[in-house]
Order: sequence, then structure tokens, then C-alpha cells
Amino acid sequence: MSSSRDAILAAVRASQPDELPLPTVPLYGGDASVERFTEVLRSIGGEIMRLPDHAAIPAVIQQLFPVLGPLASTLLPATVAVAADTPVATLDAVDVAVLQGEFGVAENGAVWVPETNMLHRALPFITQHLILVLEEKQLVATMHEAYARLPSPDGYGVFIAGPSKTADIEQSLVIGAHGARSLVVLLIAG
Amino acid sequence: MSHSKRAEVFTRDIDRTTWHDETLWFVRKKRDLAAYALPEFQDLRELASQIKAHTLSQLSQYLTQFEEQAKQNGVQVHWAADAHEHNALVLEILQRHGATRIVKSKSMLTEECHLNPYLIKHGIDVIDTDLGERIVQLREEAPSHLVLPAIHLKKEDVGDTFHLHLGTEKGEKDPQRLTAAARKHLREKFVAGEVAISGVNFAIAETGSVVVCTNEGNADLGVNIANVHIACMGMEKLIPRLSDLSVFTRLLARSATGQPVTTYTSHFTKPAPGKELHIVIVDNGRSRQLGRPDFRNSLKCIRCGACMNTCPVYRRSGGHSYDFTVPGPIGAILSPNIDMRKHASLPFASTLCGSCTDVCPVKIDIHTQLYKWRQVLAAENELPASKKWSMKFLGRLLASPAMYRFGGKAARKGLRLLPHGLTHAPGYNPWAIARELPEPPKQSFREWFQQQEDPA
Repeated sequence: MSSSRDAILAAVRASQPDELPLPTVPLYGGDASVERFTEVLRSIGGEIMRLPDHAAIPAVIQQLFPVLGPLASTLLPATVAVAADTPVATLDAVDVAVLQGEFGVAENGAVWVPETNMLHRALPFITQHLILVLEEKQLVATMHEAYARLPSPDGYGVFIAGPSKTADIEQSLVIGAHGARSLVVLLIAG
Repeated sequence: MSHSKRAEVFTRDIDRTTWHDETLWFVRKKRDLAAYALPEFQDLRELASQIKAHTLSQLSQYLTQFEEQAKQNGVQVHWAADAHEHNALVLEILQRHGATRIVKSKSMLTEECHLNPYLIKHGIDVIDTDLGERIVQLREEAPSHLVLPAIHLKKEDVGDTFHLHLGTEKGEKDPQRLTAAARKHLREKFVAGEVAISGVNFAIAETGSVVVCTNEGNADLGVNIANVHIACMGMEKLIPRLSDLSVFTRLLARSATGQPVTTYTSHFTKPAPGKELHIVIVDNGRSRQLGRPDFRNSLKCIRCGACMNTCPVYRRSGGHSYDFTVPGPIGAILSPNIDMRKHASLPFASTLCGSCTDVCPVKIDIHTQLYKWRQVLAAENELPASKKWSMKFLGRLLASPAMYRFGGKAARKGLRLLPHGLTHAPGYNPWAIARELPEPPKQSFREWFQQQEDPA
């Protein structure tokens, strides 16, 4: 379909005006505190717990999910092995996924999760419950600082802010639309 | 049928019209809270507007750069001049993979191209996976809002639809339980999806990535399970740099629903190993709009829906009254570019109050463009005869002081003498359908003024 390509580009070239300047986007600054991140994440339906170190994670999982279904994780001993070629039926049965987040954004409660931390691209969405582990010092104030941290977007990467939600029926907020029904961020001190 | 005729159908249900109005105003208020909480919000609007203006001024270069980067990432890039070519391209990819079951997340572009009916005609089972879109798909309706596709429906309507199609209990109207039923129903579809189609919120020229923003997670679930992902984008979705996303992601959800950001902001740069990622870049009238200096800025739109949430006409007439993929004020300036005759009434579906322009996160001068489309439509002879001739008549009358004075006198007398049924006859005076004319004054201001003694 190269003919369409060239025709489209020619039409655009003929229509576009003289060049207008591209502005520089300032960083703005802002509040990157744990308190701010916590407040915002809770306001969008997420939960957050502060832990002294990674060793405390298994006990917290036990506490959060006393009856635990299949667990997939890059950080803990998993009860279901997940890789890029895992069949969808196996993925669909995952109850809890515990994955590493790279950094969090205090202004909106989002956590950056690149493909390399996901085991399978569908895992953070198909799991019933998602737990993201994040180092406390990896908090930034705004999306400006967040993108300043991203040298490249990886093959695939997602900012995840809270659990899956919808308000498509009469604007009533319902948590757990298609993706994870709950999201807990485990913030590791240090 | 004109906007006002379709709006009349919608407004027959007074309670529902009031509910619709209040619900959207509630969303507008949430937007305000989010916007005012951010000291740099107005700065960000200006930056977003400038980034988009720059991108449009260099669009051919950015399209080429984007294509080159995407190809380097292993993405297959396709170009479609119009809706038909877009649909044919998508079908060809599906047929090449022998796919008959596909899942689709929200894409106003595929709505614009009428992809669903085209695919269904060719034997493809296409499932919309956004909850609101699935609801309207089951009802064989069009979305009535950019962000809230089923906002024209009450929970009882959704309950009836789900009872009919998903077997929920009759009379079930609890949003929580209805959503749970849809989740279960759509999980089966996700798992069985062979190819997934998504829209695109932003396309990054420097990295060749496409970015998709959702709250439900339906886009990611669909495309990350299927072997083939087709992302369909209008070519105005481009932005130059990855870092420009910081501006747009801060504005989009705040403007749309008052959230600080959408739940998922997903960046697709390379296909997963062994899988395919296709990007279809669509013109469909956009290069023509780019060439109209008065209307070019409409291409800055990031589809947040803020202009419709605030619009007094949209809120009280419903999205379907626009009969165009994108309703509301922004739809009224995009649609005449696609089909001027069909959508000739839309630029008049506005009070020109300017609230749309005030809330637009990319500072599109929407109400000015609405006004300018009216001039174009008049010049192209697309006004209804009644409007055209009454305007011509009024123009003459207002240009002549003598005729104006005589007309005023005649109207003041006439309104007093003529029967109410005639002065308020819907056929002659649509203004008075739901309103009473004021009582005519005994004299004009001019007459009164002349009776006053000279204060000097």
C-alpha cells in the first residue's frame, strides 16, 4: 500500500503550515513524599503497606491472602511458573502476581512496570490480584520526573495506577472491571 | 435529520434529560477539582497546545520518523487514505491469520470508519471489550460519549440488556453485580481472542511507540493475550518526544473524569517475541482539515470529552442527537469536514457560550470554530431555507432604521392583539415551544426617551 503512504504524506506536506516552535517542558517539581503517594494511591482504590525490607513480604502475602490460589512472581517462590510462552489457560488461573515496580509517581499513584518485570505481558492484567513491590526511595513527584527517568519505553511498559476500574454503568465506580481486582503496593523502606 | 429534531426525541423523557444533564455536570465538577488542584494546570494546557501546534506544522516529517522508528522496532506499519482502505487493511491482516474471533478495545477511529459492521459482514466475530462499548454493542447502538459510551443509559437499561444477552437475573440493576457479569462474559472472549484491535491515544515519533490509556485494563488484556495486535490511529495522534507524554498524561484523565491519571498508561514499542504488532495510520479527511487554517486546530484534540461534559446543549440533548462518531462541541467542528451536507446542523447545536473552549486541555478554540463553520455552511448554501430567508429578511430590517421602527411597532401591537395559539404556534415560532413570550412593552425605549425632558 505504498501508493497510499506517499499520497497521504504528500497531502499532509501540502496542507501543513509553516513550522511552529516546539516548547521545552519544565520539570515543575512537586511533592515526592511517601505521604503524598499513599494518599493519592488510596484515593484511586489502591492499598499500600510500608515494609522494613524484602524479607517481610511473604508474611504480608499470607496476611492479605490467607487462602492463596496460584501465585506468580519474580520475587517470591511461585506456585505457578509463568514465562512469555505460558498458555493463556494457566495465566487465567493466576490468583496473585507479585511483581517489581521500578518507580512510583506521587501525584497520581502510578507505578512504572516494564516488560522485563512482568514474566508475561498479560500477567499484571489477567491476575485477580496484583502486588507491586517498590523501593521507598524510588518515588518521584510528577509525570515530568517520571518520563525523565525513562531512557526508553522498553518493548512494552505500563504505568499502573490502582486496580482496574470502570464507571460505565451510571457513573457508579466499580473496582475490578477486566484487570486486577485489587492492587497493593508494598513500599520497602531504605 | 437535524440535531434539533433528534434532540427533540431525546428530551421527550424529561426525567432522563435532567439526569443526563446532572450526571455530566457532576463529571465536569470532578474535572474542575482535579484541574484546580494543580497549580501548573493552565501552563500545561498551553504547553500541550503548543506541542500539538508544532507537531501539526511538521506532521509529514513526524509521520516519516514515526514509521521509520516503528519499523526498526519490528512493527508493521500500514497507511490508509480513508475508512474503506483502513477496514480492508484490517480485514486482510485478520484473513492472513485465519482469525475469526477478535477483541477490540476502545477506538473512536474504528467507530469513525465503521469497522465493526464491515468485519461482521465478512464473517468476523468482533467483540468490544470496554464495558460501556460492550453495552452499546449488545444494544446495537452507537456510543453516545467519547469517554462514557453508555452515559445515555440507566442501570435498569443495562440490566435489561444483560438479562437478554448475558443471562443475568431479570431486574438486576446493581452496577457491581452487572459489572461482575460482564467481567466473566468478557474474560471468555479475551481468552479466546485470536487478534486484538486497540485504538491509540498517543504515538511517539522519536521512539515509534503507541500509547493506550484505559481504566479497565481491557486493551492490555486483549492485546497481550492475542498473537496479533492491530493498533489503529488517526495521524493526528503523533507527538514528537517520549517526554511530551508527561504533559498529556497529566491533562488527559484530569480533563476527562477528574482522575489524576488513567489506571493503565501502556506503551507499546515492540511486538512480544513471536507475536505481531501492526499499526494502521489513517488520514480519512485529516489532511484536508489540516489544510483549513480556521479549523486546523481541531486536530489537536486528545478525545477527553471535557467539552461535551460542560456543554449545555450536549448535556440536554444527548450524544446520539449529533449522529456522528464524536458528539458534542468537538464533534460539531470535526463532522462538517467529513460530510458537510449530512452534518450541516451540528455547528448550530451550540449557544457559543465558549465553555468548551475554556475547558479544552489543548486549548482548541472550539466555539470560534463553531461560529466559523456557520459562515462556511451559509456560503456553501447548506442552511435550511427557513433560516436562510429569515436571516436575509432580518438583515434588511436591522439595516433600515425606518423599517426597524415600523417592525417594532407592528410586533408590539400584533403580539397583544393576536391569539396566543398563533403567536406561540410551534410551526411559526419554535422558540416558544417550551417558553412563554414576554409581554410586549407599551412603547420602545426610543419612544420613551423622546418623551423625557432634556436634563440640561
